Amino acid sequence: MLTEFGKIFIFIILAIIFVIITLFINKLIRPNRPTVEKQKVYECGENPEGSPWVKFNIRFYVVALIFLIFDVEVVLLFPWALVYKDFGVFGFVAGIIFLLVLGLGMAYEWRKGDLEWARPTPKPPKLDELLKKES
Amino acid sequence: MANLYQSLELIRPEIVLSIALIVLVIFDLIFHVDKKIIPYVALVGLIATGIFTLLNPQSGFAFQQTNLMGKIGIFAVDSFGNYFKILIIISSILIVLYSFSSEEINKIQERIGEYYALIFGMILGMFFIVSATDLILVYLSLELMSLSSYVLAGFTKLRDRNSEASLKYLIYGAVSSGLMLYGISLIYGLTGSTNFYIVNMILQIPNANQFTLAFANVLIFAGIGYKISSVPFHFWTPDVYEGAPITITTYLSVASKAAGFALLIRFIKTTFVSFSDSFGNWQVISSFDWKTLLIIISILTMTLGNFTALWQNNLKRLLAFSSIAHAGYLLLGVVVFSNGGVLAILIYFFVYLLMNYGAFLIVMLISNKSGSENIDDYDGLGYTSPLLAVSFVIFLVSLAGLPPTAGFIGKLYIFIALVDAKMITVAIIALLNTVVSLYYYVRIVKHMYLNKPTENTLTVKPNLGNTILTLVLVIPVLVFGIYFQPLVDWAKNSLNILGLM
Amino acid sequence: MFQVTLQHFLVLSAILFSLGVYGIVTRKNAVMVLMGIELILNSANINFVAFAKYGNFGFSGQIYALFVIVLAAAEAAIALAIVLNIYKTFTNVNIDEIDNLKE
Repeated sequence: MLTEFGKIFIFIILAIIFVIITLFINKLIRPNRPTVEKQKVYECGENPEGSPWVKFNIRFYVVALIFLIFDVEVVLLFPWALVYKDFGVFGFVAGIIFLLVLGLGMAYEWRKGDLEWARPTPKPPKLDELLKKES
Repeated sequence: MANLYQSLELIRPEIVLSIALIVLVIFDLIFHVDKKIIPYVALVGLIATGIFTLLNPQSGFAFQQTNLMGKIGIFAVDSFGNYFKILIIISSILIVLYSFSSEEINKIQERIGEYYALIFGMILGMFFIVSATDLILVYLSLELMSLSSYVLAGFTKLRDRNSEASLKYLIYGAVSSGLMLYGISLIYGLTGSTNFYIVNMILQIPNANQFTLAFANVLIFAGIGYKISSVPFHFWTPDVYEGAPITITTYLSVASKAAGFALLIRFIKTTFVSFSDSFGNWQVISSFDWKTLLIIISILTMTLGNFTALWQNNLKRLLAFSSIAHAGYLLLGVVVFSNGGVLAILIYFFVYLLMNYGAFLIVMLISNKSGSENIDDYDGLGYTSPLLAVSFVIFLVSLAGLPPTAGFIGKLYIFIALVDAKMITVAIIALLNTVVSLYYYVRIVKHMYLNKPTENTLTVKPNLGNTILTLVLVIPVLVFGIYFQPLVDWAKNSLNILGLM
Repeated sequence: MFQVTLQHFLVLSAILFSLGVYGIVTRKNAVMVLMGIELILNSANINFVAFAKYGNFGFSGQIYALFVIVLAAAEAAIALAIVLNIYKTFTNVNIDEIDNLKE
């Protein structure tokens, strides 16, 4: 007889064994011919540049915050979706109002320009500045 | 189904507020460049809400369910709640008027739409707090109010201290509301419900675990005590009051404190009182000793507030400690556990609104000119700006609680309630505290009148609007000090807290 | 046979709560303090769900947990925005170093 956690335990053990066995078989049958290029860190085919621990642009963070809020608000729709039929038109309208307020939030983000991704404006070097530096 | 439509009738003021909030945001989006119209939209929304509050039916439950104990809801509309809602509306209207002439707010005209939208968020939260009879609704509305006010405390971003105030408010607020939520979850486990009335019914049979119940109560008090800035949850008060823009400071000192007190009174009255006798004395359920806890906290609160205020040189900070002390006096109205105590709190709060708003108005007008709130700015002000100085003296005398001002009436009713409850020792401690508070209020008067004006003395000439605003606040403070019967009558009619008895 | 009872959930939530309080009291970094607050909120969530399940209180506890999750997200968003603002002004987020406001 198994408790409910017993099943999960067997599942976890099976998963671990499966991964170990496949990795082991791989090691047995694959040819092993390392080169310098093969042992490099893989970064989409490019040569890796600098440390991966750089500071991200703040704009990623703003987008993440906006995403977090809208993502989590949707959680409130789950209980509503289960019961709105019991309340007829009233329940439906309540959900619609909720979505409209969320939409207003979206419109606010849009209008305030928080969704725009500011591209860096390239500064072409000017001749007189270059000359100043030279002299 | 009819039940839900009926509930919507009962929460009309809240619906109007929400619509006003949405309209504010839409207007902010439409009038992207010129935002002069937005304060007027806010004023119209507030006045409409006030009218709907006054027209509201006097009592009833919104969102009723039929439980094992009859019909009870999570939102109680009664005259007690309406009194506090009207207080909140009055203070919000005054805040909008203050914002017109505050230099700090005028510097952020391009973000004025968010400013008012956040204030409306706070008002909506407070409206739900004063009426909530379910702990989860209490928590949600408390958070709605807190989240808006965290942002408002650092809204202007003109100086370092703005963002610092915002951070401190956030950390203390989030911690205390988290503690409160844990307490709520314990109460839910003990009683199987978060509704005040069901909790009350289950606690009448004292078989709940005493220690867990006491622990949960203390944790819930942490959330409320933070809002009313009582010891030991007061640490944020001076820093936030000093750092926040002065309109928000004023608002936090009156409106959010009012909401906190309304919640505390309703929570204790409906959850921990088994019945109230014909004299209006409440019989408290024996499972938790609220009385001793609240007496100790109120004495500590007013003593700490008054004694720390003695050596403050920043006026905003001084008024912050004075507001902590006033929270202590107001808590005395709760600890007597009678309708007389609640009556005293209602009267005191109206008076406190007038005098605190008045004092902050003067501080704002002077700091508009000088750019700081240092007490030295007030040297010789009595000679150069007589109207402001005289009004300030009246407000300070009223805050100290001396006749013939309204502050005296507020304190008088608190002391009457204390003597009725035979708590003479506490009354004497409160009296001694009042004497201490006199010192720091008089110190400001001394700076204004005994220091002779020099060439550095400020001359502040308020414009017509601000003169009217000052007079609107000064005259009631004087009139209610002599003819206070209408105020007492209004408060007496507002004692009805929906309860089981 | 091992059975998961209400006590296990309560002990787990009590441990989380204590860890949260410990984090709030000992950490200086504002972000760490906020993480402590999240721990407290989640311990309350565990309580709600466990009580609802074992006390047969219906679904109310689970709905409360959903509300709290949403509020915690909103609070985290606002808190991080404020901390970001602090970082811009003070160039650090250590709570005990941000003390311009003192008498």
